[in-house]
Amino acid sequence: MTSPTPEALDLKAVVRRAVAALDGGPPDTYPTTSDLSIDEELALHSIGWEPVELVSGVSIVSIPLGWWNWGQGEITAAAEAHRHAFANAVARLHREAARAGGHGVVGVRVESAVRPTHVEVALVGSAVRPVGATARPEAEVFTSDLSGRDFTLLSLAGWETVGLAVGASFVFAPRRSVGAVLGQQTQNVELTNFTEAMYAARETAMTRMQDAALGLRGTGVVGVSIAEGPMSFASHAVGFVAIGTVVRPGPAGHQRVAPIPVVPLDDAFVAFDARTLE
Amino acid sequence: MAPPSDLPEAARRRLAEGSFSSGLSVADFAACLSMGLEPLGLVQGFCAMQWSAYGGGLLGGVMAQPTVASGGYSEVYQCPHGFVTGEHRAWGQNYEQTWVESAWATGFASALSRMVEEATALGAHGVVGVVDTETPLAEAGVAEFHLRGTAVRVEGAPTHKGEPWTTFLAGQRLAKVFEAGYAPLSAVATVSSVRVWANCVTEYALEGTGGVFGGAGQVAEVDQVVRAHGAARDLARARVRTQLHGDALHGADLLATTREHGPGDLEIQVRLKGNRVRRVAPFSPLPVPQLTVALS
Repeated sequence: MTSPTPEALDLKAVVRRAVAALDGGPPDTYPTTSDLSIDEELALHSIGWEPVELVSGVSIVSIPLGWWNWGQGEITAAAEAHRHAFANAVARLHREAARAGGHGVVGVRVESAVRPTHVEVALVGSAVRPVGATARPEAEVFTSDLSGRDFTLLSLAGWETVGLAVGASFVFAPRRSVGAVLGQQTQNVELTNFTEAMYAARETAMTRMQDAALGLRGTGVVGVSIAEGPMSFASHAVGFVAIGTVVRPGPAGHQRVAPIPVVPLDDAFVAFDARTLE
Repeated sequence: MAPPSDLPEAARRRLAEGSFSSGLSVADFAACLSMGLEPLGLVQGFCAMQWSAYGGGLLGGVMAQPTVASGGYSEVYQCPHGFVTGEHRAWGQNYEQTWVESAWATGFASALSRMVEEATALGAHGVVGVVDTETPLAEAGVAEFHLRGTAVRVEGAPTHKGEPWTTFLAGQRLAKVFEAGYAPLSAVATVSSVRVWANCVTEYALEGTGGVFGGAGQVAEVDQVVRAHGAARDLARARVRTQLHGDALHGADLLATTREHGPGDLEIQVRLKGNRVRRVAPFSPLPVPQLTVALS
């Protein structure tokens, strides 16, 4: 296929030159490591950013026994453990990123689990910086669970990525009285105790996430993902966790992006994957 | 002259047959041709490894200071309570299971070098689209390592002097890596393995109890396990760095798994793999990307 642009690379020549160049020694630079795809790396490069190091942060915080099954209102120990675990994991991620000379961490993979006696949080991402920029203090490093592509798009639209905001709440659905249980057994009836607990958890968690965004001096949260529902290990507890990336307009304010409409002419096809043979 | 080889006779005959085989998808195959990479054969390497259940010796009992000397990362956690009961976990330890790591490294490296040997026999410059699987066999502590990929020759390039290069990438992603000024060198992978024997404090925290003081515990970070997780990740990354020899790691994949063998007995494994690539041309400045929306 010929490319319409006159300066298009002769790919075959590029490959030949690259392979021939391998006979020389390795470069005399500190090697970068990243889990970004080549598309993400190129997207970042187009706005003048580069990956520096694969970084991670982990925290496990205990929840005392006896909080999940009896009581009323919010299960504060679980929410507190959740908040601590995220704060510690993010702090470790920032420490590693700052040490590697990164200004932020993008494409962060968030793995978290709420268990009866502890909350686990593990974060992995690539520390990035403007090409060749000097290190930044730990307190100024940002984290985002957005991909390299989304980070690029936000940046082209004039927005800054400032951090990860997390809000979690776990609430008791009060037990119904024995009389109510018996009386409602033969009816279709809304379990308002559960519905109300869900709403309470939702409001508290969303408020915490939005407060976290304000705390980072952001104006909003994008790409919010939600995990909610009854806790599998506690019959009368429901949980709501919201996580997103905090953004704010940059110094020049919002820049209008005007995407060009394109009509792709290729058929949708299913790519063959060698792993499907396993 | 072909280098000395211990490939099975049948494999050598098959590779010399003339028809090529490839594990590439049609799209990846087409991309390879457009890059001037000519597929030569689907090359593979296998290795089944067994590792000892306890390479570092046994714990001396709950009351004695643990004695696992693994030769790697290790931290001892002492009980702050003084004598309590015979069952009290007076000592805890985090230790690197170096024997698991070295068995894993040997298995992966052997399978990789066997695959590369087949590629060498085909006169390949490199192997693209490498897929690796590590399958536990029925017996505990036994795993089969299997690597496969498509051996390719670079059109119009002189015969390759060194060992063929290898990469997990293929197709358009590989083409973009070349265009970005990188050349692939090797598929790299490593595993770190850290075992946690909880001391009393860690055990109580994991159970959510206040332990000897009775009642409920507190909301507090479980320091011993967190440090083990940190160590496992640091070890994996440090070990991959030693395989980079000054080159970059692209498209890394870090996978952490925790197995709970029993109360307060955890095994944390971190597998890190990626592509060792070398910058062979400067990153030419890219234009600001054009944003598009597909109308489909």
